[in-house]
Amino acid sequence: MSLFRKKKRNVKKPQLLTPSKALEKKGDTPTSISLMVKIKEVKELLGNNEDLQIKEFKIFGQYPAASVCLSSLINQDVLNQDILKPLMYVPEHLKGKEKPLNELVHLIVTETVYHSQAKVAEGKEQLIELMLRGESVIFIDGIKDSIHIDTRKIEKRSIAQPETEQVILGPREGFIESISTNIALLRYRLPTPDFQVKTMKIGRLTKSTVAICYLKGIANETVVKEVEKRLSEINIDAILDVGYLEQFIEDNPFSPFPQTQSTERPDKTVANLIEGRVAILVDGSPFSLLVPVVFNQFYQTTEDYSSRFLMGSFVRLARILALVFSLVFPSLYVSLISFNPELLPTEFAVAVAGGRAGVPYPAVIEVLIIEVSMEILREATVRLPKQVGGALSIVGVLVIGQAAVEAGLSSPITVVVIALTTIGSFATPTYTAAFALRMLRFPIMILAGIFGLYGVMVGVIFIFNHMLSLKSFGVPYMAPVSPEDSQGMKDVVIRSPLWWMPKRPEFLRPSNQNRLGLNDNKVLEHNKVGNDQREDAANGGSKGDHNYSSDNDLN
Amino acid sequence: MWQNQRELKVAISLLFLIPLLSGCWDSQEIEQRANVLALGVDKASEEERKKEDEISHLGKRIPIPDEEMIKVTAQIAVPGRIPLGPQQPGGSEKPVLVVEVVGHTLEDAMLNLQQEVADEIFLGHLRIIVLSEEIARHGTARFNDFLRRNPEIRRTAALVVSKESAAKYMNLDPELERIPSLYLADMVDNLSAIGKFPPSFIGLFWTIYSSKGQDPYLPYLTVIEKTTIQLNGLAYFHGDKMVGKTNPLEIGIFMAVRGVGRGGYGAFIQVPGKDESVLVRAVSRKTRTKVTLRNGKPHVSVKIQYESEIDEKESASIELSDSAILKKIETESSKSTKKAIEKLIAKTQKSKSDIFGFGEHFRAKLPHYWNRNVKTKEKWDEIYPEITFDVTVDSHIHRVGMKSK
Amino acid sequence: MGDPKEITTIQATTILISTIIGVGVLPLPLFAVRAGETSAPFVTLTGIFLAALGLFILAYLGMRHPQKTIITYSQDIIGKWLGRIFSIFVICFFLVLTSLAAREFGAVVVTGVLRETPLEVTVIVMLLLASISCRNNINVFSYIHNFYVPMILAPVLIVVAFSLKNANPLYLRPVFLGNDLRGMAAGMLTVSALFQGSFIITMIIPSMKSPNKALKASFWGILISGGLYLLIVIATVAIFGPEEIKQIFWPTLELARTTAVPGNILQRLDIIFLAVWVLAVFTTLFSSYYFTIHSLKELFQLKDHKMLSYFIMPFVFFLAMLPQNILHMYEIIQYIGRAGLLITIMYPAFLLIIDFLRSWRRKKNVAKPT
Repeated sequence: MSLFRKKKRNVKKPQLLTPSKALEKKGDTPTSISLMVKIKEVKELLGNNEDLQIKEFKIFGQYPAASVCLSSLINQDVLNQDILKPLMYVPEHLKGKEKPLNELVHLIVTETVYHSQAKVAEGKEQLIELMLRGESVIFIDGIKDSIHIDTRKIEKRSIAQPETEQVILGPREGFIESISTNIALLRYRLPTPDFQVKTMKIGRLTKSTVAICYLKGIANETVVKEVEKRLSEINIDAILDVGYLEQFIEDNPFSPFPQTQSTERPDKTVANLIEGRVAILVDGSPFSLLVPVVFNQFYQTTEDYSSRFLMGSFVRLARILALVFSLVFPSLYVSLISFNPELLPTEFAVAVAGGRAGVPYPAVIEVLIIEVSMEILREATVRLPKQVGGALSIVGVLVIGQAAVEAGLSSPITVVVIALTTIGSFATPTYTAAFALRMLRFPIMILAGIFGLYGVMVGVIFIFNHMLSLKSFGVPYMAPVSPEDSQGMKDVVIRSPLWWMPKRPEFLRPSNQNRLGLNDNKVLEHNKVGNDQREDAANGGSKGDHNYSSDNDLN
Repeated sequence: MWQNQRELKVAISLLFLIPLLSGCWDSQEIEQRANVLALGVDKASEEERKKEDEISHLGKRIPIPDEEMIKVTAQIAVPGRIPLGPQQPGGSEKPVLVVEVVGHTLEDAMLNLQQEVADEIFLGHLRIIVLSEEIARHGTARFNDFLRRNPEIRRTAALVVSKESAAKYMNLDPELERIPSLYLADMVDNLSAIGKFPPSFIGLFWTIYSSKGQDPYLPYLTVIEKTTIQLNGLAYFHGDKMVGKTNPLEIGIFMAVRGVGRGGYGAFIQVPGKDESVLVRAVSRKTRTKVTLRNGKPHVSVKIQYESEIDEKESASIELSDSAILKKIETESSKSTKKAIEKLIAKTQKSKSDIFGFGEHFRAKLPHYWNRNVKTKEKWDEIYPEITFDVTVDSHIHRVGMKSK
Repeated sequence: MGDPKEITTIQATTILISTIIGVGVLPLPLFAVRAGETSAPFVTLTGIFLAALGLFILAYLGMRHPQKTIITYSQDIIGKWLGRIFSIFVICFFLVLTSLAAREFGAVVVTGVLRETPLEVTVIVMLLLASISCRNNINVFSYIHNFYVPMILAPVLIVVAFSLKNANPLYLRPVFLGNDLRGMAAGMLTVSALFQGSFIITMIIPSMKSPNKALKASFWGILISGGLYLLIVIATVAIFGPEEIKQIFWPTLELARTTAVPGNILQRLDIIFLAVWVLAVFTTLFSSYYFTIHSLKELFQLKDHKMLSYFIMPFVFFLAMLPQNILHMYEIIQYIGRAGLLITIMYPAFLLIIDFLRSWRRKKNVAKPT
């Protein structure tokens, strides 16, 4: 009988009592007055940890106290020199004075300890959490309050050139994992009181600090509020990287196109903040997340703006071409070869037929096979350690290209086409957007294999329609091309000179529209050299003196 | 509605995707197509007619008489024998395949052709169609219908008339080019670029054939010494039947009347007063055609302005040292050109072939006259021999080359 | 509706342009030449004027009721039931228009490009594309049109520009051939039937930022699309001559075929032209499909149109498959096109007149008591 009937097993698994669960259950209880009880409670929750450091001592030689901290997180020197030492020795100005118990905390915090971050707290859960963040807690026998002092010191790597976004012209600083350094990198570029940083803690286990940065008066208030709302709705165990946040706050997670942009560069972040976007930083991740985004950001780099406008425009045009190539080139090849060879010049068409003569399967399959092998190769080279990687990638490409052709597995033109496509996809600066196009290449190839050029058009229309219907935090994805915006258009295909773009693009609905000052920019007037300039000076001097200079400001 | 809307959507989308599994209907690999590069059409001889198999009809019950059967020769490119890169020396195999079939009409012949060729025939790269003179004189309208209906055929393909049988052209092996028919096609295409022939491609042939006031013309080729092809003149048509051909120099004159800007023909002009000649080559032309009615009868005035250069003088006894002698040469050249033009127009009038397009001018500029008296193409062909014309030629010799004498 | 009113004047213009330029661009010269021979450009011009007149009536009517579409304000003007009946006519007409456009599209593709692919597949793919895109709101609708317009206009202009090299101005004369005035009038109607898509302006006006600029938008829309059509007719007539055009189904396509990019890099430009034309057809189909669904939604006061867009598709497909062959299809198109003019021009004119009468009467009634 029991073979045929499935018994429902309702056995409940016993729940493990983890310390965090214990903390969550109780709510914030105040600590008791007795030192022994306090120490016992701490040992109950954290006692198994090797790095729990409890040092009992006497304050001013009189009052029993203990310092509790997690030694792996703290700066021992600070604990010893600036906290324990002054507490154990009576300071000069207090010698001989009365130090009653009820005033002790105040005395310690304001007159004794050499630390700017000394604060008072009394909730047990709060203190434990602070300890877990690297603060040292001083328990005093007989007093409810405890003092906690920030003595955090964690090894972090130095600021280096960002690996994913390398430029030739432009700053070489990149974000690191520590959020306070990152905010510092932003703040020194924006020494204005409008730059606001709001923090929240997200993630049940990681309790990561998440910072929302924006420029008040330029960023749109609704967007900022929306960002806060979406972030506050996240309920998850761990936020290990900005990417986790991105997946929760995106408008349309099923779309292949990213609706946020992540960057490792502080100068790019600051530039976007100034346009009116909001930046989100997470402790532990060297990337900052920018919202809202539009599609044409994905082929722009900071280098475009640091260089002169002709150079920037030209390079940008090349990038756009590479982007289009990486999407449709293999499909165009397939449709020309299999469906419409009459488009090719006759001699070339006949010769291509010759190249394909030995290949045993249709052009679609051939292209798909080589594309898939290219994708695998690309993924493999990312994972290889540096020493092996360089040589292997060259060998791999040569082998696949040359040998495959000679073995009759593909025609030489296919290899050229796929190689150009792959190179083109590298030219898109944003990794996530390039990936979207890489992925979308495959459905379009299949459509091209079924319908030819018509299939390519249908696929492209489909993709464009999808992009046109996406919104990122209320901003249409294809602005400023689709809801047209004359100011924004100046930056889409070519990069107009900076003095031609006096207003911010409208799609972000910034509160403050003016980029350049109201007086005419005197940039082009600098072209007058020599006599003309002297003449100008005689007539009262140049009118624009917007940047004040002073002698003793090196900061 | 259904309990789970998502399931419904998935089911519907799967249903839609099923027809796609049946395959890519139109996909045909480029190496699996038989690219027909050139076609030659001849009249089928007696024994050839007997060779026809029953492919598009059973028995002999179609109304087209056997005597009008055509022989079609096709030159098909063989993939694999034509390499992508530079040609390896010592390629002994011919890169093209030549196939001959007979049929009652062009489409009939194509169907017969398909029976003999392994891959599916593809006409998208058809660059040139050669008609033998016999067939052209018999009438070309029967081919136009097939060529127009088929969407694969380009309007920029070339159509030419040949003196010999068209099959000979398909079997040619010129040394200048890997693929023989491409040499032929390129040559014909370049004719108008060099200035040896007015622009002509099959689309233009059809347009002119359809228009009411003009008769079509085609290049006339001949083979000299086994492998060399020569442009031997212009074949002019009455309706769709070829009625005559001009000689090569007359092509230049024809271009003058039609107003084709680019010159290319040179002629020997006798220097007045001497027994010597110089070679004067036309560089560019400008033409103005005016049509009027004189006493109710159509009259055409053509005014042509030539810009020429002297390329060569025959003997050292002529001195091209002053402008007076150039003026003399100019007047002499104008005179002889005018004569030649009048001769040509008369020649075409005899054959009732208005290749110059005078009828179009009448239709466009004198619509009342046209609507009352002419209206149709046949009527114009009757009136054409009766029209009067006068020609004025004005040559300017602008250049004499680098030699000062 | 609840959607923010964000359609700018430029967007309205581009919507009109891309809706009008559609399937009709291919057989247009054939219709014009059948009617007027060398005076085909003249016939086209008169057709454009008639269409412009119709559009202005619609725009003006819409500006008088800037918050409502024709479905709802027709109920205001001529009464609830009468308005509903006429609206049903309008909706049915656009349903048929969508299916005919899809069928014509399929016919061109199957004849000219993909000869082995079954007609049903081409039609279904296009209808599917349109119905999936119709699930969005009207702002995305205008973004889509706005985006595609330059891609549609530019290649057509380039092809026309390159082709003029072969033009023969004799074919364009005489400009006005007064032979067959009745035929020319019929041709004028056929040409203006090609502009019927502009009816959607009634749907756009309620969502425009500044509805009083609707007239300006329609003016520019007709100018650009009409100008393009005129240019195409002139170019084809000049290059092929009226007699040759009478033998070709799709003269515009032949125009693209004859044109070669200088240097002979690409030889058969008609394939590229067809690819761009797919875009133009898609925008037209999208517009008429969206209009049908949107109007249905308004007529029956449904909440949203997403499910409706899938629901209608089988009907459209069925109607598209009805004509037996291509000649039959063109007969139906001509017939329905001309009948449709009644709906798109006479009906709005009728509404406008009654609207004027009512407001005049209302003013009189207001003036009386004083």
